[in-house]
Amino acid sequence: MSIGDKLRRIRGEGGSGRKEQPPQTREEEGRSKDERIDDLRRRIREILERRPSGPAAARKSGIPRGALPGEEVRTRRGSVLVNSSRILRDDFHGKRRICETAMPMDRIGVLAGRSVFSPFRCEDALFLDTETTGLSGGTGTFPFLVGLGWFEGGNFVVNQIFARDFDEEAALLTCLSDVAREKKFLVTFNGRAFDLNLLATRYILNRIDNPLSGLPHLDLLFPSRRLLGHRLENSRLATLEKMVLGVRRDYDVPSSEIPQRYFDWLRSGNAGLMTDVLEHNRMDVATMAVLVGHLCDLFGSADGFAAAADGSDLLALARMCIDRGEKLTAERLLADLIAAGPGPLGTDAGTELSLLYKRSGRWAEAAGIWETMAGRDPGCLFALVELAKWHEHKTKNFKTAEALVAKALDNLPGDDIDWREALLYRLTRLKRKMGATKTE
Amino acid sequence: MERLTLEEIISRFRSDRRFMENVRAFREIPAAAGRFSPLPAWLHPRLRAVLEARGFQNLYEHQAEALELVRRGRDVVLVTPTASGKTLCYNIPVLQRALEVPDSRALYLFPTKALAQDQLKEFGEMARGLGGEIKSHTYDGDTPDDARQAIRRQANVVITNPDMLHAGILPHHTKWQKLFSSLDYVVIDELHTYRGVFGSHLANVIRRLRRIARFYGKDPLFICCSATVANPGEHAARLVGKEFALIDRSGAPRAAKTFIFYNPPVVNRELGIRQSALAPARKIALQLMDNGIQTILFAGSRLTVEVLTKYLKDGAEKREPGAEKVVAGYRGGYLPELRRRIERDLREKNILGVVGTNALELGIDIGELDACIMVGYPGSIAGTWQQSGRAGRRADRSLALLIARSSPMDQFITENPEYFFAGSPEHCRINPDNLLILVSHIKCAAFELPFEEGESFGEEKLEEFLAYLEEKGILHSANGRWHWTAEHYPANEIGLRSIDAENVVVVDVTEKGGRRVIAEVDWDSAFTTVHEHAIYMVESEQYHVDRLDLDRREAHVRKVDVDYYTDAMTYTDIRVLDGFETKQDGNAVVEHGEVKVSRKVVGYKKIKFYTAENVGYGEVSLPEREMHTTSYWFTLPLAMLDTLPYTRAEMIDGLCGLAYAVHHIAAMILMADIRDMDRCVADRSGRWFVHFGPGGRKPASAGSDSPENFDPTVFIYDAYPGGIGFSDLLFRIHRDILAAAFRLISSCPCAAGCPGCVGPVLDVGYRAKKAALSVIEIALGSPPGKSPAPPALETGGENGRTESVRRKGRK
Repeated sequence: MSIGDKLRRIRGEGGSGRKEQPPQTREEEGRSKDERIDDLRRRIREILERRPSGPAAARKSGIPRGALPGEEVRTRRGSVLVNSSRILRDDFHGKRRICETAMPMDRIGVLAGRSVFSPFRCEDALFLDTETTGLSGGTGTFPFLVGLGWFEGGNFVVNQIFARDFDEEAALLTCLSDVAREKKFLVTFNGRAFDLNLLATRYILNRIDNPLSGLPHLDLLFPSRRLLGHRLENSRLATLEKMVLGVRRDYDVPSSEIPQRYFDWLRSGNAGLMTDVLEHNRMDVATMAVLVGHLCDLFGSADGFAAAADGSDLLALARMCIDRGEKLTAERLLADLIAAGPGPLGTDAGTELSLLYKRSGRWAEAAGIWETMAGRDPGCLFALVELAKWHEHKTKNFKTAEALVAKALDNLPGDDIDWREALLYRLTRLKRKMGATKTE
Repeated sequence: MERLTLEEIISRFRSDRRFMENVRAFREIPAAAGRFSPLPAWLHPRLRAVLEARGFQNLYEHQAEALELVRRGRDVVLVTPTASGKTLCYNIPVLQRALEVPDSRALYLFPTKALAQDQLKEFGEMARGLGGEIKSHTYDGDTPDDARQAIRRQANVVITNPDMLHAGILPHHTKWQKLFSSLDYVVIDELHTYRGVFGSHLANVIRRLRRIARFYGKDPLFICCSATVANPGEHAARLVGKEFALIDRSGAPRAAKTFIFYNPPVVNRELGIRQSALAPARKIALQLMDNGIQTILFAGSRLTVEVLTKYLKDGAEKREPGAEKVVAGYRGGYLPELRRRIERDLREKNILGVVGTNALELGIDIGELDACIMVGYPGSIAGTWQQSGRAGRRADRSLALLIARSSPMDQFITENPEYFFAGSPEHCRINPDNLLILVSHIKCAAFELPFEEGESFGEEKLEEFLAYLEEKGILHSANGRWHWTAEHYPANEIGLRSIDAENVVVVDVTEKGGRRVIAEVDWDSAFTTVHEHAIYMVESEQYHVDRLDLDRREAHVRKVDVDYYTDAMTYTDIRVLDGFETKQDGNAVVEHGEVKVSRKVVGYKKIKFYTAENVGYGEVSLPEREMHTTSYWFTLPLAMLDTLPYTRAEMIDGLCGLAYAVHHIAAMILMADIRDMDRCVADRSGRWFVHFGPGGRKPASAGSDSPENFDPTVFIYDAYPGGIGFSDLLFRIHRDILAAAFRLISSCPCAAGCPGCVGPVLDVGYRAKKAALSVIEIALGSPPGKSPAPPALETGGENGRTESVRRKGRK
């Protein structure tokens, strides 16, 4: 009796009153009805999409390999398929031309939160995105497709390394090593948590030195989430490219379907299943290239800021610059936002900038901002209180300070007890100080 | 009031006639001097200094022996009593190695997180003495995320549990490269806890661990420790897949101990009901505490712990207002600070009485107390010794008192004390090649590392599994290697403490449109607990089951408030598929082999709370479930049974009573939960069988109306698909089991059957007890005698006119 029969017998499958049904795998049994319907849809679609290509046996003989784009590349550890394409300098990807991506390394450093990038050039960047057999991580997840991109003479090259079967993994990794050796740093989207971890695992499993482990790395997820995520429903790459970069995809494989597509490809050899995945991956790599350009452009130039940018993104960038000690950039961005006129954005920018000045001991400039803010909005609590502090501690003009606190109290919403207490405390102290000056 | 010493109290017990009436054993275990060996010469001078500073000028003989064997590269299993310094036997080799090779790594496995914490503390103290560069850390569900990376890279000793190793470490072994590529030692403490399903799973986790270690070029040495069981060496070998050197003679000194077995008096002879074990426990504990004797009490459940704690607090308070503070509960779930405080108060004698659950029998750092009271048999001889080891200071006499409850195990042990005192008959059994368990771990292993052609995993043919999994689309072969090709993460779906990952979720739909998952029940018990119209109870709330959807694995329930609960009625039909071995023993034909068990829930009873009145029936239509498993069984000649002065029905009652007793004794010997096995009385060919309900109830009818002229057979089978390895042992010790059953039943003072022998009289009938004894006499071919001599259970009963026929081939 085969192991399969024994297992079925032990479990009592077949005696469970479901004899009329064809034998199902346990995996199938465990799935919900919706999933099974989705499965059916997928299978129907596959049948409709099926291009003339042979089954797995035929694939092994080499016939359907030709149906996939790309060419076979020989490495020290076997052959692998590499699909090479390029986006010419003047081609658009979304709203941007590919050649508009400049990567000033000081800005890359701010985005990455590390300053190691300064000796590099734009051409040293290796953009990387993988497609895998699962999203949960762990050693059993296989990155069957590694999409790589880099700038070359203003054009953007995308090379996709594709393992047609598991036995091409060593070749895939070797091929990646060869490319990585020519490059100086990595750009990914969520690579820190996912792609690079996974590749590190696979390098260990194949006993190949990991060429990526020492490379500086800009993971675009973090700056994107910080600079753009505040106005989007989420910070996924697909959302960013649609809402911010204006990239449209005609048809796209949902990421969640990709593992199953690969398994189906292994069994059926149907190249059509994979061409969509290759295109999906190529788009992702290209999107990263314009995304990094977009993020760098938010910094603007020394004499003005990019008109296309959303003001709230610039405020987020200014805050990030403050956190990373880039005071000058932050000052310039905030000043521009204030100059753009009144409004909540201007107020926030004023707040940030005045506090920046205050921390640097530039009181007069800070006070100037507060005066402007109080001028624009006479009830602006923040400006009134900061001015009061300034007059109390710096100019020692207690009377003005007292008037400001009184005004702030007038403008305070009735239910804000904490603020009220703090203001009353300050008022008492001011009165005491004024009394002391008088008696002197 | 003058305080008595423990010695004086013990001698008062001895002269107290009413007390002694209930005493079944009163043993003095004499003190023994320690046997010592010098610290080994090869010990690193710094480690020697730390040991000497901690008061270890010498080692016990068994410790020195263990160190030498490990030094020589042997895998060692150590079987010595509580507080005999087992931890040094692995901590010293690990520390020595870390001093010699600073990058060296070790992995410690403990069955619970609490034990891991205790070990961390102990190891940490020694490592700090060495300067602190040797690092240890626990790694489990409580480990903060931000600490994990550092632990993976830096900890010389990672202390974890089997579940975490299975689901958290092995599937991510590349992150643990440093650990695996320098893994010199694996320590498995409390080896005896890994038996049955859990042990069978762990054996496979160890296979995976060794496979991953091989990938990184390591074959670590295993150091295991176990409580006293009959087969420690065999068990270690089966669990780890290596041959072990066994050390089972302790060189540790032992203080004198008085061990008392106390069986509370029978209060209702008709029903065989005894006084609750709580009453004498309370009385004796208060008496001890009154005299300033620190006492630990072990109770079986959290509830009993709470009840007993309250009793003792009330008692203490009554004697002296404010004195309730001298009593503390101590059970799982207490926070570390509270634990530390109780420990401190015990050391400072602010607390005199502490009540804990069995689950905490191991490794609580509360020092050594004067007296230990076990309220109910802890379930195993090994566990009883461990609990009693909680009492016993170095020099003074200590007291251990076991108070029996009404269960068959408690009754058997207290009524047959030799069984306890004369060496351990308990066996740890596992079946790592149970197909269901094995296939689960082959999946996990394939996820961790592709299988290569020619590789093996377990005793079954790996290629067949790989082909099977490839056919199911879970694996994919390319160029002689099998790769994982499913999106999910297999270890998450496989729990080590049960056999199958499939559960039925219980969904509360009381709120309109609401869906709240309130519980999960395993697939098997779903049929009896959440069938339609069942009353399902969670945390004292009652829910009515509206619908059981087996396809979606969901039971929809609604909150209700009714005065009854439901009890499912099932029938079990059993057929022999294949006999592996057979022998004639006395008048019985004894066999073990593979059986098909068909179970069907046919209906349910509504039973009123408190009165237990039957207030209604209902039918249930659920598919029959079939299970193939392994079983031990024996068949008796009907012609001989017919010579007995019983009607057919009474004889069947007797057989059912016998099956009840055999079932409990088998579970005891295997340290198994009673639910890990099941029993059935049937015709060997499956043409008739007796119904059993879950509680051993027997709606007395059969497949056909009455047993016709068939020889009845008693089956004891593994309650897990594929079997868990119990049956062949039971086959070997058949005669001893029947003899033990005879003693259990014949020494039970009840009139006609009780839960302590053949089952409650209302279930088995009024003549079952007598009939059962007669049946045993026929089975054994001679009266078993009433001498309480301990059965030599290890010998494996090739007794009498035995002819063993091996038939290995399966259908």
